[in-house]
Amino acid sequence: MNLFIQGIAAVTPLGPTAPETWLALCQGQQAPRRLIANAVADRKYFACTVPGKFVSGAARQPRLRRSGTLSLLAAAAGFDAFADAGVKPGGGSSDRIAVVFAICSGGVNYTRRFYHEIVTQGANAASPLLFPETVYNAAASHLAALLDVDGQSYTLVGDSSVGLSALHFATELLVMQPELNHCLVVGTEEVDWILSDAFASWRMATNKDQFEVYGRASGTIFGEGAAAVLIGRSGVLQISRSSPGRPFFSVRDSESVAAELFGSLLAEESPEMIVSSANGTFADEVERKVFGKLFSSVPVYAPKPAVGEALGASALFQVAVAGLALRHQRLPGTLSAGLRLPSVNRKTRSFPATNALVTCVGFNQQVNAMNLRLT
Amino acid sequence: MRAVDRQHRVLVTGMGVVSPLGSNLSSNLRSLVNAIDAVTPVTTFDVTKTRCKTAAQIPDGWLEDAPMRLRSAYRLHRGARMAGMALREACDSAKGPRPELIVVGTTSGGMSFGETYYRRLLATKSRKGFARLAGNYTPQKSVLDALEANRLRIPAQIVANACSSGANAIGHGFELVSHGLRACVICGGYDPLCELVFVGFDSLQAATPEKIRPFDKNRSGMVLGEGAAFLILESERYAAHRGATALAEIVGYGVSTDTYHLTQPHPSGIGPKLAMQRALESAGLAAGAIDYVNAHGTATIFNDATEGAAISELCERVPVSSTKSMMGHALGAAGAIEAVFSVLALCEQFLPANINFAEPDPSWKFNVIGNSSRAGSVDHALSNSIGFGGTNATLILKRI
Repeated sequence: MNLFIQGIAAVTPLGPTAPETWLALCQGQQAPRRLIANAVADRKYFACTVPGKFVSGAARQPRLRRSGTLSLLAAAAGFDAFADAGVKPGGGSSDRIAVVFAICSGGVNYTRRFYHEIVTQGANAASPLLFPETVYNAAASHLAALLDVDGQSYTLVGDSSVGLSALHFATELLVMQPELNHCLVVGTEEVDWILSDAFASWRMATNKDQFEVYGRASGTIFGEGAAAVLIGRSGVLQISRSSPGRPFFSVRDSESVAAELFGSLLAEESPEMIVSSANGTFADEVERKVFGKLFSSVPVYAPKPAVGEALGASALFQVAVAGLALRHQRLPGTLSAGLRLPSVNRKTRSFPATNALVTCVGFNQQVNAMNLRLT
Repeated sequence: MRAVDRQHRVLVTGMGVVSPLGSNLSSNLRSLVNAIDAVTPVTTFDVTKTRCKTAAQIPDGWLEDAPMRLRSAYRLHRGARMAGMALREACDSAKGPRPELIVVGTTSGGMSFGETYYRRLLATKSRKGFARLAGNYTPQKSVLDALEANRLRIPAQIVANACSSGANAIGHGFELVSHGLRACVICGGYDPLCELVFVGFDSLQAATPEKIRPFDKNRSGMVLGEGAAFLILESERYAAHRGATALAEIVGYGVSTDTYHLTQPHPSGIGPKLAMQRALESAGLAAGAIDYVNAHGTATIFNDATEGAAISELCERVPVSSTKSMMGHALGAAGAIEAVFSVLALCEQFLPANINFAEPDPSWKFNVIGNSSRAGSVDHALSNSIGFGGTNATLILKRI
């Protein structure tokens, strides 16, 4: 069955919409780094945050008046994906649309605040207003309500590859259920100092304001945002292959697992461009080795130095970028790229192509990939 | 999905469970038949400032048998141990399945490691042990640990649809197999008890300081539980090919999203009613064919009112019980554990109890099973799961 990405949306630290973000990426802009402090342990990190004004429209929704950043980002991207596709949600089609969310850390701001109240003031002081927003599917629930979807809503959790897993899950729903017209896939994440602190304990987050990809793996900088794609049964951006992903049980075997998966997705055709998940961690080296073996001459674009590592949102943001690159026949230049991967694309250029591979090596033992084709 | 669109019968060929009622299938069955109350005072964190002070907990000693590699066992979250044990039992009972995928429901994963991380942050500047906590906190990590321990290198889809997660995971697996996209899928859920969620439900006054009394007129709220359960689903053709024995068949799955409120269901019961109707349509069954309803039955005022209204409207006079009365609410694992309990009811031809039940609510027409389990003819069991965010999922299982 042929399935297509009909609508693309993104809310990122670089722009409130996909077109504005795309323009900024092509201009070589880097999202501002904001200092976020671990108030408890006096450790400082940088993060790429989304300005409040980027989600001011979503914040006016009565349903979202108490919700966290995560839900605002998701709502903004979700509605934009419908608008980009020229599809109007609701209006008697509420059971013909499914919603699939990709989340990694979820409502981490509210979760930390809620638990802080428990620890410092006692369980009897914990706010009942915060707790519901800590649940992983809170953002999906809000968006389903805003879109008037009364059918299927799923939230998938995982590492930074979860967006591709969610996209595959959505294709499964559409393949199995002919009564569904569309599936909206949304990935979203918000930053918090505790996230950086936790990753720093694994040396996967840096306290510098820059990080290099395909160079020295000194840790990443976190970002926030949301990316969404609306999948339907017609269009020009075809999801030619997707996968639920594969686990790896040690960094040592991650390379063979990634090579097997990336290779299996491209049994019949070679990609003309790769949108990679490089983020300044061990993942870069895994990708570098696999690309070197399988696609040594294919240009690689890594968007995370520009917008930060947005975990649950990042893989779908890569998909959005791949879709926009095929639409505009242009490939942005990778910022802060090291020298270890010769095929990395360093400058924005016109790039006629019909086939893009999106790859993810997650920090928590999952790899995934998908292939997008311009028909 | 309608029954007529289904390409393959979906058989349950193996299952495993760890719950406060027992560390394996046989001990859970024994506790269900004997209507054991597994709710005890909470011991793993401080409850002096909460209204509710009880939960159904799995003794740590039961988890020592978890099939984890010795090299790293001490690092793992108890959720990984629960999942690993239940997964091993499921695979053993299916006698050599070759699963292609695992779909798992959870709500909080290794949250208690996140709690410990935060408490240590407040207490010390040392980072000793932080990497272990951060690395094993995420919901997917326990699943991957359980897979690794059972030597399964298969993709994992992890569903976090609040308290319907486990049923959603099984439902998705059912659809994949019934449509021929997969021949063999492991489905289930896990959720260990943690302080943050316990206090969360307490802050909403959804947890009770009394006994949990589902569907009782004087019910006052839920108590939490924990556990893990997995089912091996195979297409009939694949199961026959490898000579597997079927325990039951999954015949229907329905979902709905109630957009009324993040934490409160629509008072009319439209959410669970739609899920049940869609499951019945999926099974090609009339409501009258259902012999037993394993209800979500959290014993909160709102849940039981709306679910009760839906069951009353669709399945008048059907025997109903909430096994949460015995083992509390295991959140993301609940739908999976209750699916296993429903299969046990089909296999053993009995109706599990709804303990602590004293006074029926006159607004409902169905038959609450009451304080003891009893023998009963059960050909079709329906299991409901309802979650925060308005997620509703219903499974229908059939006797072989």
